[in-house]
Formats: sequence, structure tokens, C-alpha cells
Amino acid sequence: MRIELQNFTKRFGDTTVIEDMSLSVASGEMIALLGPSGCGKSTTLFAISGIHRIDGGTLHFGDRDVTRLPPQDRPVGVVFQNYALYPHMSVAENIGFPLRVQKLKPAEIKSRVGEMAELVQIGNLLKRKPQQLSGGQQQRVALARALVRKPDVLLLDEPLANLDAKLRLEMRSEIRRLQRETGITAILVTHDQIEAMSMCDRIALMKDGRIEQISTPAEMYERPASRYVAGFLGNPPISFVNADANGRLAFGDNALPLPSGIAAQGPVVIGLRPEHFGPQHQGPCVSGQVSFIEPQGREDLIDVTLPDGQRLRAIVPAGHDVALGQTVNWQVDLSRIHLFDAEGARL
Amino acid sequence: MNRQTLLGLGFLSPALLAVVMFFLLPVVLTVVFAFTNMSTSTGILGGEYQISESDLRRLPAAGVREEAVEMLAGADYAVRADTLALFAAEFGDKRAQELEALHGGASFDDRRAMERALKDLRRDPIRSVRERKAAAELFRISILGQRFPTEAAFVEAITALGIPEADQAALTEAAYTGWTFTTQNFELLWELPATWRYALNSALYVVLTLAFNVGFGLFLALSTFYLPTRTAQTFRAIWFLPRILPPVLYVLMWQWLTWDQGFISAILRPFGIEPINWMRHTATHAWTFIVLINGCVGASLGMILFSSSLRAIPETQLFAAQVDGANRWQQVRFVLLPQMRWPILFITSYQTLSLLTSFEYILLATDGGPGRQTEVWALAAYHTALSNYGGNLEYGLGAAYALALVIIGILLSALYLRFFNFRDLVAKPRIEQ
Repeated sequence: MRIELQNFTKRFGDTTVIEDMSLSVASGEMIALLGPSGCGKSTTLFAISGIHRIDGGTLHFGDRDVTRLPPQDRPVGVVFQNYALYPHMSVAENIGFPLRVQKLKPAEIKSRVGEMAELVQIGNLLKRKPQQLSGGQQQRVALARALVRKPDVLLLDEPLANLDAKLRLEMRSEIRRLQRETGITAILVTHDQIEAMSMCDRIALMKDGRIEQISTPAEMYERPASRYVAGFLGNPPISFVNADANGRLAFGDNALPLPSGIAAQGPVVIGLRPEHFGPQHQGPCVSGQVSFIEPQGREDLIDVTLPDGQRLRAIVPAGHDVALGQTVNWQVDLSRIHLFDAEGARL
Repeated sequence: MNRQTLLGLGFLSPALLAVVMFFLLPVVLTVVFAFTNMSTSTGILGGEYQISESDLRRLPAAGVREEAVEMLAGADYAVRADTLALFAAEFGDKRAQELEALHGGASFDDRRAMERALKDLRRDPIRSVRERKAAAELFRISILGQRFPTEAAFVEAITALGIPEADQAALTEAAYTGWTFTTQNFELLWELPATWRYALNSALYVVLTLAFNVGFGLFLALSTFYLPTRTAQTFRAIWFLPRILPPVLYVLMWQWLTWDQGFISAILRPFGIEPINWMRHTATHAWTFIVLINGCVGASLGMILFSSSLRAIPETQLFAAQVDGANRWQQVRFVLLPQMRWPILFITSYQTLSLLTSFEYILLATDGGPGRQTEVWALAAYHTALSNYGGNLEYGLGAAYALALVIIGILLSALYLRFFNFRDLVAKPRIEQ
């Protein structure tokens, strides 16, 4: 089911949280709403689910206008950050609740709950209470409850935030598997770029109630539309260097040639990812002093402080003989650098 | 006992003292009083020995044989050796000899007859009426109306009357005017039809008021739960007013609302409805207003407790219920109410206990009226022991009423403690996920 959100505006009292935002999600697609806390991603999700009213704009599921529909009448399933399971109901009753309020026959509820429990692999836990389940099991129950109504849209609000690291990895692929198997259109709200990149077909990166960029994870990583997007994606994060563009990019005693096809003049910001800087690359050199080494096993993170005080970070395969305080002259993969103007827009 | 224990006891002592003074002592005294026939007429200290004219009728029931009663009743005045000796000492031997000659061995039923007999003296008549009266008194042998400070004096007196030994013990007991230990209070409670009426009234009062309290408290909590915070707070504050208002003032406002020239009557008059006292017109009127008066006080407690337990339920559960397709009623029925089981049970049990013993609002509103239709058990205890219209305050009977309440209260408390498993309840909140 295609989701079409147009000119969406949301206000809480006098504060406008989201103004004039548009988003369209293709049928069967899984999209991530990514951004720091307070950027309006959960608000957008709650507006799509109908829990929050939409103050301006329209929302269509397929051809159907659902802007004014109460949440009860929208074909959505929601998984909440704290799972919001009903503590007084057993797992089976939790999953069957959406069917129970539709007044379906107990036999049918039972068979559909069983079906759903098999799908999320908790068939043996149906009699337990939520308190008796682990975080991952609770999450599966929440997923089953969201899907049992056979909704057209699955909304996930930070579903992995309350899990430990190992479970998070497991549930990441589990949620993606479920989404693929059911072919449901899904929206994932997260502040974790890895979750967004690994689980979703496309990412909508949000900032202050706006969508900064919307594209596939690879595209967003390779061609960030702004300095903000470039800074948000990537771990370890991208390094930024202020430079002066005047036929070439000069910063301190260092200079890089201007990449082909880019005409820039005056102050610019160079974005250089750690994996595109180091002794193992081909290209023009930048020199500086090693100021920090963080061993990671397979590779080391090395900070290089440039003569003008700015800092670049490099990922260097383990087995190098770089020492702290050493002066290095390392290559930059020129084709992979990003250039932004003073306002942060991509050049 | 080390210093810490002593210090602990020291800090506890005010509380212990309060518990002993205001709980244990009253309970013990209630038990003691319940087994006495203490009342205004017996006083609370010891008594004297006295048989009065009116006591004669109840003596056979107390185990005194008819002959003995006749002995007490008849032969008030007798001319015989001992009384004549007294007469001779005051009025001279000659008169005594003449009287003996005229009426020796005679006895008279009342004083006037005795005086007439004295008029028969010819040789040296007693002319003054007053003197004749005083003389008549000397022949008096009855002990009716006479007070004897000790048991020994009383026994001596009835022995002198010739009461057989077999009747003396029963008579002495019947003559005692102070209080005694007895179980007759409980027999009386069991036998009096009014007792059952009060018990039924109490049950009716507790059930109706409790239903109103819990139901209305829940309604207020749930309805304010869905209101915006500010509005909800104002609303709750208004509903809390009856609880913080002094009861007398609060009930006075209800009286003003309901009496025959009050608010309701005034409002309804233009519609051609005759003004009546809405609170006391019939038993149904009275019960309605008693439930309302108590309910509006009690509902606020439920409202506060229910509201806070509602707010302890995570908001996302309601969001989840909405997207699961549950309408308002289904949210309340399936998600909210089941999680409020404990507060509802707590309010129910707590208020059952407090309603059983509370009577102040009924006292102020209808005072048990009309008739005795709204007289509940606790109010009956109060009326019997402390505010009797007849003036004879029956402390013993009142205590017996109260003792029944104490026993029911302790039994219910024990039951609730067991049922709620309070240790568990304190250790782990049931509402949390």
C-alpha cells in the first residue's frame, strides 16, 4: 500500500513541530525516518498512525484519503519503543486483542493468533504474561500484535532501542525478514544510522521537522546532500576541514586539487571519510602529525592533526608502524571527497 | 536490651501510647461495658439496695416467690410489741397501753388508716395532725422505698420483715440499684426486632454507598483522565471539596438544598410541584440523600486513587489500544479497568470498614429518620449509649452494639489482609509492567 503524505503540518499548542513536510513511500517498501531526538520523526509516525491529529496537509493510503480517520479505522499496525504490551493479558490475549475488539469468533482468533505466533517464532510462549518474557520475546509479541490485523502499513517506533546489542542485531534481520515475507509497507523510526541503513530500502533523514534528504542508504552515504547528512551517516564519522577554494583547495600548509567538474570559489568545507584517507590509498597527499591512535583489531583509527590545527581521521589496516607524534604524509582518495559550501549545501 | 532497642522504643512510645489510649483501651472498655447493664439509672459507680413499689411487679420474674412479694407489699403499718415500744418512748406509756388495748396486733395498709387508728385514743388524744403523722410513721414496718447503703443492712431489714431465707438472695440481687455483669444485652439484641432492622439498614447503607462511591469515583477518574490536564485538575479539585468541608457545614448545605423551603422546592414550585422536605419525606427520599451525601464524600477518595493509578498506566498502552482498533469503551473495559483491579479492591474493602462504623453524616442529615427507617447499626449504638430521647442512656447495651461492629471490623480486616497479601502488595506494585 502506497503512503502519500503531503504538506503535513503538526503543531503542539503554539509550537509548530513539523511544517509542510511531504513524504511518499512505495508499496512494499521499508523506509526509515532517521534523525536525532526531537527532530519530529516519532511525531510523523504518530500522525500516520492517527494517534496524533494532522493539523495541515493530507495523508493517503493508496487512493484512500485517511487524513481525518481515527486510528481505529486506519489499516496500520504499530510497534512501540516500550512495546506497550498489556501487562494483565497473556501473550495469546495480547496478540489476539485487535481481533477481539473486532468481535471475531474465539476459534478464528485462536487460529490467527497461532499463525502469527509461528511467524514471529513464539508459538511456545502463548500462555505467558509479558513480565515473564525477555526483551526480544516481548518485541516479537508486539510485532505479532501489530501484524495480526493484517494491516497495510507497519509503523515501527524505535523498536530496537530497548534491546541489548546482541538482540538488536538479531531483531534487525528478523524485522526485515517479516517485512519482506508479508510484503507490508513499513516505516521505521530510529535515531540509529546503522539500523536505518541495514534495514531499510530508503532513508528519510530529518532535521528540525524537515526532511533533509531522502534516498537509498548507499546513495545517501555516497552523495550526501548536505554537510548535516554527511556528518550524520558513517561510523567513525566523517572529518570536516575548512578550506579556501581558489583553483585548488588550500588549508594550512596543505592543498588538494579541485575535483573535476566542480567550480568553487572562496571558503568551502571538505568532507573526508576516514576510509578514504591513509597510507594505503592513491592520490594527492596531506601531511600532519599523528595525535591519537585507537586500535580496533582489524584496523586502527588514527587522528592526524594538520599544521593549521584541523584534524583528519584515517582508518589504517592493522600491522602499520605508525607511532604517536610521528609526522605523516598520507594519500587522499580525491574522487571520494565531498565539498560543501559555507551554508552546508553540497557543491 | 541494648541502647538501640531502648532508643527505638523511646521513639515509638508516643505512637504506642496513642494506640493504647485511643484503640486498645476503647476496645477493651467496649468489651467490658458490653457485659454490664450499666445505664444512667445504675450510674457508673456502685449502687445501693432498694425495693420500690414499682419493683414489686418484676420480682416474681427475678425468682422471688409470691408469698415473699406479698410480705413486702402488704402490712405496711403494724401495732405490735416493737413498734409500740417506739411509740411509748415518744408519746408516753399510757397512750401506748390504750392503743394496744384498742388495736393490738392489728395492721394497716396505708398511713391514713394508721392515723385513723391513732384518733381512737380517748384518754389523752394526740390533737395535732402533724404529731399524729409522726406517730403513724413509728408503726411503719415496710421497707418499700427505703434505701440501704450496704447489703448487710438490707438483709437485716428483710429478715426483720420475715422474708423466708430461700427468697433472700434473689430479693437482694433484685434490690441492687448499681450495675452488674450480665449477658442480657446480647440476649436483648438477639430478641429485639429493631436490631435486625438496624443490621439490614447498615447492610443497605454500606452496599448502596459503596456502589455509588466506587462507581462514581471510577466515572470521575475515567472521565477526567480523557480531559486536558488543566480542566481535569480543576474538575477534580471541585469534586474534592465535600471531603475537606467540615461535615456539619456540608450537611447543612444539603439541608438547605432539600428542606421544604429550600432550593429544590423553590425550583420546582413554578412547575406546580408541592414543596416537601425532600430529604425526609419518605424512607426512599432519605436513603437517596444519605447515599448522595456520603457518596459525594467517598467518591472523591476513589477518584484521587483511581486517577493516580490510571496515570501510572503507560500512555503508549492506550495508543496501542487505539491502533489495535479499540474504541473508548473497549479501551476502558479491556485495558484500563483490568489494571485497576487492586485500587478498586482496596477502595472497596477500606470503605466497607469505614462505612460500617460511620454515622456522623446520617446523624446530621436525618438522625435515623423518618421514624427509624435510616437508623444504621452504628447510629443505633450512639443513640442507645449516648443520646437517648428517653433520657436513660444504656451504656451497656450501646457497648454491646459497638462490640458487634468491633468484631465484624476485626474479622473483615483479617480477611482483607489475607486476601490482599499485603506483604506482596508493598513489595511490588501490581500496576507496573
